[in-house]
Amino acid sequence: MAGDTEYQELRPSLRNEAAPDDGIVVVRGGPSSIEKLLTHARRTHDAFVLDGNPLWGISVFCALDDIGPASLDPLLRRFASYRVVHLPYMGQLRDAGFDLLPTFKRPHFTVRLQSPDDVLPLLTALGNAEPNPYYGRRPGRR
Amino acid sequence: VVTVDITCDLMDEDESGYVWTFLREARDPTLIEPGAIVVAGDEDAPAVAEVVEIVEKPAGPVVHLRVLPGVIEDYQALVRRAITPA
Repeated sequence: MAGDTEYQELRPSLRNEAAPDDGIVVVRGGPSSIEKLLTHARRTHDAFVLDGNPLWGISVFCALDDIGPASLDPLLRRFASYRVVHLPYMGQLRDAGFDLLPTFKRPHFTVRLQSPDDVLPLLTALGNAEPNPYYGRRPGRR
Repeated sequence: VVTVDITCDLMDEDESGYVWTFLREARDPTLIEPGAIVVAGDEDAPAVAEVVEIVEKPAGPVVHLRVLPGVIEDYQALVRRAITPA
């Protein structure tokens, strides 16, 4: 069990929402993905626990709708700083053994890792990265 | 090369709806105060953000950031247009 005075309990921040297998997950890609994912997982670990237990996790956003802010295009635009992204289906991550926790505000999720050693299998499950079509594509820039 | 003011994961949102990171991740914590415009993220994916607030959390002070639209080059172009003599 983690100490109860040093971490924020995540359980009250879980939404009552199932993650659909055909939902597309948006995850940042790039050449240093392993190091970046490990850093992000450690930050989550340093801040939160789930049911009092240590939590390793990566924040992601999922395209849950066909239109609106929780659909794929606005999410890719929102993360225009990401040159490349992984776009696996939620079902792919589940099949690889990863839980997706519906955390905080829709459509945010946390991919739960059992330990930092899960970063490499997670990267494998994410599949190939592809260019973000919104990277560097802005009106009015000269 | 971009110098990041505060390192964060641009996807790390919490119950506030803002991006969060620890104040200890700031290059210079004195830059981080509500209303400040900073470069957040990391050197590969920097973004312009507004510091919304600094809140005390069990694991230490946490900074909430409102990430502004677009990429840092948009703001670079904006400043260049604004300050170039006619």
